[in-house]
Amino acid sequence: MRNVWIVLRREYLERVRTRWFLFGTLAGPLLLSAVVLLPALVVDSGPRAGDRLAVQDRTGVLLEGVAERLRAGGLEVVPAGTSPEETSRLRGAVTEGRLSGYLVLDEETLRSGRVSWYGEEAPGSLQGLSIRQAVVTTALTLQLRRQGVEPGALLAGGSLETTVLGSAGSDDAEGRFLLGFLGAFVLYMVILLYAVAVMRATLQEKTNRLVEVILSAMEPWHLMLGKILGVGAVGLTQLAVWLVVGGTAAVVGLPSLVERGVVAGDLSGLAGELEPRLGLVFAGLFLAGYVIYSSLYAAVGAMCTTDEEAQQAQLPVMFLILVPMLLIVPVLDQPASAFATGMSLVPFFTPILLWPRVVAGVVPGWQLALAFLLMAGTVLVVAWVAGRIYTVGVLMTGKRPTLSELWRWVREA
Amino acid sequence: MRLHGVSKAFGRHTAVDRLDLEIEPGGIYGLLGPNGSGKTTTLRMIMGILRPDGGSAELFGRDPAHVRRREVGYLPEERGLYRRMRVLDVLLFLAEIRGVARRDAEPRARGWLRRLGLEGWWDRRVEDLSKGMQQKVQFVGTVLHEPSLLVLDEPFSGLDPINQDLLEEIVLEFRARGATVLLSTHLMDQAERLCERVCLLSGGKAVLEGDLRSLRVAERTGVVVVDFQGDEGWLSGPEVASVERRGDGLHLMLHPGADAGALLRRAVEAEVELRRFERVEPRLHEIFVRHAGGGSGAVAEGAR
Repeated sequence: MRNVWIVLRREYLERVRTRWFLFGTLAGPLLLSAVVLLPALVVDSGPRAGDRLAVQDRTGVLLEGVAERLRAGGLEVVPAGTSPEETSRLRGAVTEGRLSGYLVLDEETLRSGRVSWYGEEAPGSLQGLSIRQAVVTTALTLQLRRQGVEPGALLAGGSLETTVLGSAGSDDAEGRFLLGFLGAFVLYMVILLYAVAVMRATLQEKTNRLVEVILSAMEPWHLMLGKILGVGAVGLTQLAVWLVVGGTAAVVGLPSLVERGVVAGDLSGLAGELEPRLGLVFAGLFLAGYVIYSSLYAAVGAMCTTDEEAQQAQLPVMFLILVPMLLIVPVLDQPASAFATGMSLVPFFTPILLWPRVVAGVVPGWQLALAFLLMAGTVLVVAWVAGRIYTVGVLMTGKRPTLSELWRWVREA
Repeated sequence: MRLHGVSKAFGRHTAVDRLDLEIEPGGIYGLLGPNGSGKTTTLRMIMGILRPDGGSAELFGRDPAHVRRREVGYLPEERGLYRRMRVLDVLLFLAEIRGVARRDAEPRARGWLRRLGLEGWWDRRVEDLSKGMQQKVQFVGTVLHEPSLLVLDEPFSGLDPINQDLLEEIVLEFRARGATVLLSTHLMDQAERLCERVCLLSGGKAVLEGDLRSLRVAERTGVVVVDFQGDEGWLSGPEVASVERRGDGLHLMLHPGADAGALLRRAVEAEVELRRFERVEPRLHEIFVRHAGGGSGAVAEGAR
């Protein structure tokens, strides 16, 4: 076991010390948050707070609504009269820089939503959009009211009242769907990422020829285990950093995003799902999936001599992990169906397919236990087979073995 | 170390064929043979990295697969190190898997690097080093844990003469301390300088094995080189089969079993002025070529 630890530590330190690890670990969440936050920031920078604009309302009915909506967007709105003298005064104010510009609303605005802007410069496209929206919404509301329709609910986008017939009903279907899909996707990505890293790590000793020296000092099995655990530890480190950073970002960032209306939907429902039990299941699925697939990938690495060869040889394993991703949509759609249940109990698919079902709340305790039991059994079998392929293959160079040769390795090692 | 009727085949190719080999503790043992004669495979089986298909191998009286770590230092033919690691870290790792604690290994590693002229390089990444330097680093990794058995597969290939001498010196030091050294080479000069016993492999079989001195005696070809002034009449004695004139004197080919002493007496009786009378022992190179089937390009190249 000492050997396993030595290999593990070397593997871990070598990886963690690279610039790529630092970059990936720190920049990953930054990039992700950037993708989420950037639109919010851009919207924020649209109509800059403190921008003053005047509104000349020739219809006499739009001013109040438009001004209110523009103010909600952070603009300072000055009502202005419609006389020619007032107009020239406004022009003067714009050239002197006391106003960013002024809007002119007329009958045409009421009919078609057309509005005129006079300013030193054209408004930014986002600013223009929010101005247009303020005007159009106001005009539309007014027109609908004249027809005797209450437009508030319609303009808010309506709502879908869902009644789930049958047992395990889900109240917040949208949030669960999102969480189920995102979680499965993250599991897929992370398991694949680190399992492939194990394959590369296995190839490393073969390409740098150190494998003989190491194997003259320890069992191949120890080397393999050390590699899998070492790379896994790197993965866990990275996940931990991401969780901390992401969690912080979520706690600090989300409420302000919701406030600004950038993130749609009711997030409190989603947050409610993030209970510790789910976290445990997620970690368990990651670990089991990682061990299963990294063992397979270690065997692939041991069979090959070069990276190029490994790229090809990994295809069957790649396919195995791709299948659950292909099945994810039907499982998300009907998590309680027999199909979804059956597929999520196939140990190679469980790490990815069980998650959306757990999130949907349709996995009874016994199924959860069975799934983990099956995965544990698979871990043992896969590790045993992979270890044997590894033992023989890691010393081989040259031609890749055929399936029958592989089988001979497994029997004879 | 003992191999008993050991065989190993890769596919249809038999790399080692019922090989018997026994190496006593102490001394330097040379495993010689042309490329592809089974040297590396033999060493790998001794190291327990490969399992023989037939026969049995023993190291320190045990199954080689269970002899690990400290006792053995192994330098494989294919060299390599973790390219992205620092030199010192690689050495500490290699020492650790041999069961040496890091804090014991560190001063030793620094000492070795200093001795091999790599002072100041230990914080550099392996990939920054030249190939020769990397090879020296790997050699340090082989001896760092002070093993009692050194197994070196072509240890000197690719090194310049100065570094070859340096490594030879270290190998000799290990022998002086009572360690056993098993090395494979196709460089005959080296084997002649270093080894007490040799085994000549060809086609996976041992064609010649034994003490280097007695091997040479046994392999004498009956050539006597003489250089003298005076009458050449004594050369026509019954012992001499043929005479060949060369730059360094006359090469006399004696009849098989002829007594060189009798010939010498004849020369003394003939009262010639004898400057040289030498019974030539064959060089290892010649023995090698004779037994390994000669002609092979690899041999000629290795022996040059």
